[in-house]
Amino acid sequence: MRFVLRSLKLRHFRCFEAFETEFSDGLNCIVGPNARGKTSVLEAACILLRLQSPRVSKLAPVVQHERQGFVVDGYFGQRHLQFYFSRNRKKLALDEVAQADAHEYLQVGRVVYFSNTDIELVRGSGEVRRRFLDFVAVQRDGLYRNALRAYDRALRSRNLLLKGYPVRWREVAAFEEPLLAAGRLVSEVRARLVAELQPEADAAHRVISGSREELRVEYRAGAGEDFAQALDAARGEDARLRQTTVGPHRDELAFFLNGQSTEYASEGQQRTVVLALKLGAMRLLERHFGRTPLLLLDDVFGELDVARRNALLAVLPSGAQKLVTTTHLDWMASGLEAHRIPLG
Amino acid sequence: MKRADYPTALRTVIGELKRLPGIGPRSAERIALWLVQSRDARADAVARAISEVTTQVHPCERCGFFSTEPLCDICADPSRDPSVLCVVEQPTDVLPLERTGGFRGRYHTLGGRISPLDHVGPDDLRIGSLIERTREEKFSEVILALGADVEGEATANYLAEILNAMHVTVTRLAQGLPAGAGLDHADELTIQRALSGRTRIAPHSL
Ligand SMILES: Nc1ncnc2c1ncn2[C@@H]1O[C@H](COP(=O)(O)OP(=O)(O)OP(=O)(O)O)[C@@H](O)[C@H]1O
Ligand SMILES: [Mg+2]
Ligand SMILES: [Zn+2]
Repeated sequence: MRFVLRSLKLRHFRCFEAFETEFSDGLNCIVGPNARGKTSVLEAACILLRLQSPRVSKLAPVVQHERQGFVVDGYFGQRHLQFYFSRNRKKLALDEVAQADAHEYLQVGRVVYFSNTDIELVRGSGEVRRRFLDFVAVQRDGLYRNALRAYDRALRSRNLLLKGYPVRWREVAAFEEPLLAAGRLVSEVRARLVAELQPEADAAHRVISGSREELRVEYRAGAGEDFAQALDAARGEDARLRQTTVGPHRDELAFFLNGQSTEYASEGQQRTVVLALKLGAMRLLERHFGRTPLLLLDDVFGELDVARRNALLAVLPSGAQKLVTTTHLDWMASGLEAHRIPLG
Repeated sequence: MKRADYPTALRTVIGELKRLPGIGPRSAERIALWLVQSRDARADAVARAISEVTTQVHPCERCGFFSTEPLCDICADPSRDPSVLCVVEQPTDVLPLERTGGFRGRYHTLGGRISPLDHVGPDDLRIGSLIERTREEKFSEVILALGADVEGEATANYLAEILNAMHVTVTRLAQGLPAGAGLDHADELTIQRALSGRTRIAPHSL
């Protein structure tokens, strides 16, 4: 059995009261006018496999208005995935067996999400870049999720304590050891991922740009060289600002074309860079797990002229399963086989 | 015509049972029906047992474990090693440690852990009485058997700092307890291993 998303069922999800569909194992085109739920279907596929939305960091806005919770349900290969989410309860099942934690569930399927808003990876805040890194890192190494969560809890605890009046330093100090331990793991995993991503993204960039420009990806640790030392040195500043000012939550990624920061690159160059990053992530996961992740492409063809659209389709591995949203299909090169899913 | 339902008294019982942990609406109804339909004295016995347990069982004055006397069985047992104290988060963490048979000292239950995100600070826990006991009972070793997650670690660090200043040897359970899970979820072997491999938290090792 091929490792592809075979079906998807939604309930109380975004604009859908209920919806269900099947997918082919190659190219799937979700076609329909604006606001019919095309993006929502891709989001649902992503949440089903990764328990995370590519659009928002919290899942609450995904629940249909006036409803308690949503359900996503589907088959990936032979595995049956079911996820229920409400504000106060989450339930996971794998092959109809309830799961106490998400570890095994998240081993089933992997995803790379391409969106027309990807340019934010270059133009947006550091938060966007960290989210991209973490989305890939968690897929590569399931245990990374624990480190991220522990870091987040320790950080929020320390920040809350720093807002107390007067600040109870003994309690602040008590949270520093777990903060450092989890933070070091997070930095380590991110640095390693960037080192692996760099050559893959550079190679993808050469192919899609057809140029000889070199793409370099640089990881800048928000914890400096030594997190413990940095935290110690920042204590006065932290007390003044009432928050933790150093650590992986301040990590940054920087991109360079032939040594020039992409901040100054043209829009076309920036779009090519972010596409290369996503393709790089795809290759990295492909190499690591021996199969191409599910490719979700939301409106990425909108901005491109016909020639470039077909060129992009050509760089995506032909054997990979793809879910593509579009308002119309006239641009598609004839002879390209696609399973059509009409909406509205 | 008004649609019939169970009498109010029966509905009240179902409502109360439903609020108990682990009991859903269906089980609540089944239990309530069994209670009213049982012809022997079972239902009365259940009612009596429940009312007795709430009036008689309370936290031990010294350690916080369940007890019907001022002092619990463990605190009152003279054959216990008075020089070693094991600090746990909840009274329910005591029995899993007892079952390993690997510990002969006494316990202290904190009633939780320091968790700013849940608005629990040191003053909400039995830390004052822990300090007092440490001063009076002159333990040679205090073992911190707290959870291996962020709040468990932080609470252990907090206590270690205070206890080290009182010149008592502080040790922690060796790693190996599942992260995020309390002692009551760990199996016996895991706890036993953690107990025998405990490590010292020396002053200034933090
Ligand atoms: N939580 C929600 N509850 C109900 N409706 C929602 C919710 N969130 C979003 N919607 C609505 O769902 C509809 C579909 O949104 P979606 O972004 O999936 O459409 P789309 O087909 O991708 O549109 P476009 O072609 O413009 O990208 C929108 O009208 C949106 O307002
Ligand atoms: Mg859309
Ligand atoms: Zn006692």
